[in-house]
Amino acid sequence: MTDWARTYENLPYFLDALLTGAVMTVIVTAGGFIVSILLGLVLAACKTSRSRLLRTFAYIYVEIFRAVPVLTQLFVIYFGLGSIGIKLDPIPAAIIGFGLNGGAYLTEVFRAGIAAIDRGQSEAAIAIGMTRGMALRTIILPQTVRVVLPPIANFAIGLLKDTSLASAVAAPELSFQAHMLADRTFLTTQIYLLVALFYLVMSLPLSWLSRQLERRASRGVRA
Amino acid sequence: MISPHMLALIGEWMPQLIEAAGYTLKMTVLAYMLGAVIGLALALGGMARQRWLVACCRGYIEFVRGTPTLTQLFLVYFGLTSFGIALPSFEAAVVTLGLHYAAYMAEIYRSGISSVHRGQQEAAQAIGMTQGEAMRYIILPQSLRVILPPMANSAISLLKDTSVASLISAPEIMLRANDLASQYYMPMQLYLITGVMYFVLAYPLSLGVRYLEWVTSRGQRSSIAGPAAG
Repeated sequence: MTDWARTYENLPYFLDALLTGAVMTVIVTAGGFIVSILLGLVLAACKTSRSRLLRTFAYIYVEIFRAVPVLTQLFVIYFGLGSIGIKLDPIPAAIIGFGLNGGAYLTEVFRAGIAAIDRGQSEAAIAIGMTRGMALRTIILPQTVRVVLPPIANFAIGLLKDTSLASAVAAPELSFQAHMLADRTFLTTQIYLLVALFYLVMSLPLSWLSRQLERRASRGVRA
Repeated sequence: MISPHMLALIGEWMPQLIEAAGYTLKMTVLAYMLGAVIGLALALGGMARQRWLVACCRGYIEFVRGTPTLTQLFLVYFGLTSFGIALPSFEAAVVTLGLHYAAYMAEIYRSGISSVHRGQQEAAQAIGMTQGEAMRYIILPQSLRVILPPMANSAISLLKDTSVASLISAPEIMLRANDLASQYYMPMQLYLITGVMYFVLAYPLSLGVRYLEWVTSRGQRSSIAGPAAG
């Protein structure tokens, strides 16, 4: 029997295992995404604050987390912390790892979004008696949304694909399930092609969304 | 944490990690060159007049950008063996990363080329240049301003992505760190040192990119902006 025939015969079993993994991939992606958004907002607020200390902290955080591979960060969190008594399960470790890493990227996205809003908006808000925090929350951030949505959608696509690295810390997501199947059946080509298809199916709607958002964001601005 | 014992250990590890960093850099440079060349071909193919060529290039780009590097790495390293092609892990990593970045670089070239005004192309053809000549002498040189900063950013991403090659046991920093971590059972110290090494390699590059962005935006930036400090 050829490899392809064997793959076809076992397809329901493969799809079942990969689907379980895909659900986990979505969970890790969603978890990492939420942590990234929250952290990115906090750090962007630090970066635009008046306190030099907060600005410096945010700057150092972003530079470090952007210059080191996410795989290294995952290993520090999972194996490193594990060796000094802080044992995390693979899934939480992955969510924290991708969240801390993604937070650094989104900080820059949010900061650029805030910078894109005309200074006059925050001056006007302060002139009518708002505090800086209020101005940021009610005037600046709502206007920023339009600017930051396309890069955030792109970030989500990148994150979805990066979660494959969580297989290296034994998180039972799509790629991990694939390694197990490939080890057991030796149908590596067929299984990884299936996996590629799974990722495509998950990322294509996101990339369609990001194109739509880009089109909408440029409306009224483009020549 | 920094005891004399620790310092002695670091002294033992560093030569090995630095040697591995050499492989990381070599992998980065080779994959980058491969990606830059194939990426340009993909970008030009994607703008060709032949429909099938455009479809092939677009399809390739969508496939590569929609799937993780890791999956592609396994397809090249393990998958090709079932077709009788067995690449050593380092070569497999170079090929995969090169093919992967080619798709991203193709998009960079495309946006650079489409940023040059149409009239330039028309003018070049009006004075008798062929399409290829117009591309080489007129369009590409002008698109460099748009192309260079994201291309430099790709180099930084690529440098970090080479860490993924450790998962197929290609010799580079992460693999050496994994070996040492299991040998000494000090994962925290080793992965932190590894992080510092990547930082030392990547941070100067990212400062360079910011300077490049500042230089290439000349004439378009407002007068208050300096080379971004963060």
